[in-house]
Amino acid sequence: MILVNKTMDINEDDEQLGETSEEDDSELSDGELQDAFAKGLLKPGLNFTTQEPKKIVNNVEGLKQCLADFRKNTLPWVERLDMVNLPADDIVAKSEGRLDNKASGDLNPDDDFQREMFFYRQAQAAVLEAMPRLLKLKIATKRPEDYFAEMAKSDQQMQKIRKKLIMKQTMMEKSEKAKKLREQRKYGKKVQVEVIQKRQKEKKAMMFAVKKYQKGMTDKLDFLEGDQKTAKGGAPAKGGAGKTAGGQTPDKKATNKKGPNAKRKYKDQRFGFGGKKSGSKWNTKDSHNDVSGFRAKVAHGKGGKGGKGGKAGPGGKGGRGPAKGGAKRPGKNARKKMKGRS
Amino acid sequence: MSALKRKRGGKGPGGKAKKVKLVENGNEPRNTETDQNKEISVPAPVSMGKWRNKERVLVFSSRGIDYRTRHLMQDLRTMMPHTKADTKMDRKDKLFVINEVCEIKNCNKCIFFEAKKKQDLYMWFANVPHGPSAKFLVQNVHTLAELKMTGNCLKGSRPLLSFDPQFDKEPHYALLKELFIQTFSTPQYHPRSQPFVDHVFTFTITDNRIWFRNYQIIEEDASMVEIGPRFVLNLIKIFQGSFGGPTLFENPHFESPNTRRRVIRMATASRLGERQMVKELQKLKRTENKEVVTRDVTDDVFVTPAEERPVHIELEAPAAKVVKKNKHKAFKRQRMQKR
Repeated sequence: MILVNKTMDINEDDEQLGETSEEDDSELSDGELQDAFAKGLLKPGLNFTTQEPKKIVNNVEGLKQCLADFRKNTLPWVERLDMVNLPADDIVAKSEGRLDNKASGDLNPDDDFQREMFFYRQAQAAVLEAMPRLLKLKIATKRPEDYFAEMAKSDQQMQKIRKKLIMKQTMMEKSEKAKKLREQRKYGKKVQVEVIQKRQKEKKAMMFAVKKYQKGMTDKLDFLEGDQKTAKGGAPAKGGAGKTAGGQTPDKKATNKKGPNAKRKYKDQRFGFGGKKSGSKWNTKDSHNDVSGFRAKVAHGKGGKGGKGGKAGPGGKGGRGPAKGGAKRPGKNARKKMKGRS
Repeated sequence: MSALKRKRGGKGPGGKAKKVKLVENGNEPRNTETDQNKEISVPAPVSMGKWRNKERVLVFSSRGIDYRTRHLMQDLRTMMPHTKADTKMDRKDKLFVINEVCEIKNCNKCIFFEAKKKQDLYMWFANVPHGPSAKFLVQNVHTLAELKMTGNCLKGSRPLLSFDPQFDKEPHYALLKELFIQTFSTPQYHPRSQPFVDHVFTFTITDNRIWFRNYQIIEEDASMVEIGPRFVLNLIKIFQGSFGGPTLFENPHFESPNTRRRVIRMATASRLGERQMVKELQKLKRTENKEVVTRDVTDDVFVTPAEERPVHIELEAPAAKVVKKNKHKAFKRQRMQKR
């Protein structure tokens, strides 16, 4: 009975072993674990099933053997045209003084420009090295001008490319022009504003001086000539009236003296400074007795006797007289005598 | 055509026929008679009997490629005159069928494009009968048709190949270099080739990848313009046989696109998962029974080491401050109080 049980047990075990090994639920079945433990491979304690570190195949011997078999040693260089070279010298980097890293291992693949320049220089070095060799073998690299053959890219394609390049260029030029124009306009505007401001300042100063003269605070009309004097010499003109109008160029001296002066003066007198114009001159007792407008020098100095206080007032017409060269018109009798003589 | 070529002496009629065919494509006739009159002698494109290096490359793809891959294939065929094309291979066929296809076409090299999931492009380079083969993942494909590549070269002109010195350092790179040389270099005196060397293929190793560029040689002083196409190859495996056989080399730096996508997805998922966990923790904390603290820990914060003053209880209200602005109010209140 016992034997049978044992055998039965053994059979059961066998069956269990068979079943569990077929289940394949876990990596190692219980039966297998028992076997391993029996053999002494497993140690008591908690055992984890870890994955083997992935073996990366690098069969160096196999590779070399394969290469030796595969290589075509009968082919001359001219059939293959292969070169191994480092990139050519980077002129730009050298001029900037940067370290010239020639190895491709140092290249940063994310820096697009640097990477592409590296490839370019590599190609350049290859060409420079290969040229003499090709010349020796009498293989041409430049095709003659009249050699027409099919190109890799069709003419249509090349035209498209050309168009695109031209468009890019024109767009750049346009934007440059627009920028410059904007700058100019800004600058021009600035200059314009400055000039206008200067003119306004000048006008203001002139008006102030004129007003002062009108009010009788100064009897010198230096402010009119003051601009020209400051333009010429500078300092002494200031001493004259204490006021100088803004700097006018000596070129404008002649024109300013004559033309607009008289008209302007008349108009200013009539229309300037506000106030009542029409009823200003009345022949009353007071105005008759008022000799403030009398300038002895002017009255007696000038040839034409305009009478007492007859000289025109604030316009300063008298200023013109002496500046005209100082010649006084002789009287009627004197002129007659002169006429007779000539 | 191929039958004629096999004959050693029978190049005459075949050669002339070749010439005519080329002329029909829109070239000016390169007649040898007129050459004698011109000063510049144009080298004959086909030197009869001199084509010895019989290298033929089969370029084709599997189904499911997108337009960029198709254009890349066409560009390779344009650049290399020693290539042949074939129809798309069905996906259910195993890869070693390609060997048979190549044999039928009488090719000894093969470039096979495989597109998976309409996203990833794999490229096989193989030496067909016995030789090694390599599988690459292709990235950053730019074709000839891109307008930024302004160079142009003769169709079928022979290229100069330029390799990085790193290709000589490692055995697997050396094998790849040999494979590239044999695949890409146009045989001399190939009937469809042009006798000039006017462009350069460069192969550079950076970032554990092989970068391919194609430049046109403009001047003898090596000023160049890029023609295209351009692509980046990421080596996966090198096999000893053609499209099969024992693996000779496996790239340890290679990360399959699936893994990459998975990693990205898992990263985003984990971020979301983390946020969820944090929220749940906060909820738990809120619903927790908070213990009542009998003694306030912060009780003796304001205890200052000073004498205690006697507690003075003010029975009288302090004198109201007279604010000038609110004069009336102050006075009124006082008045009220006084009353």
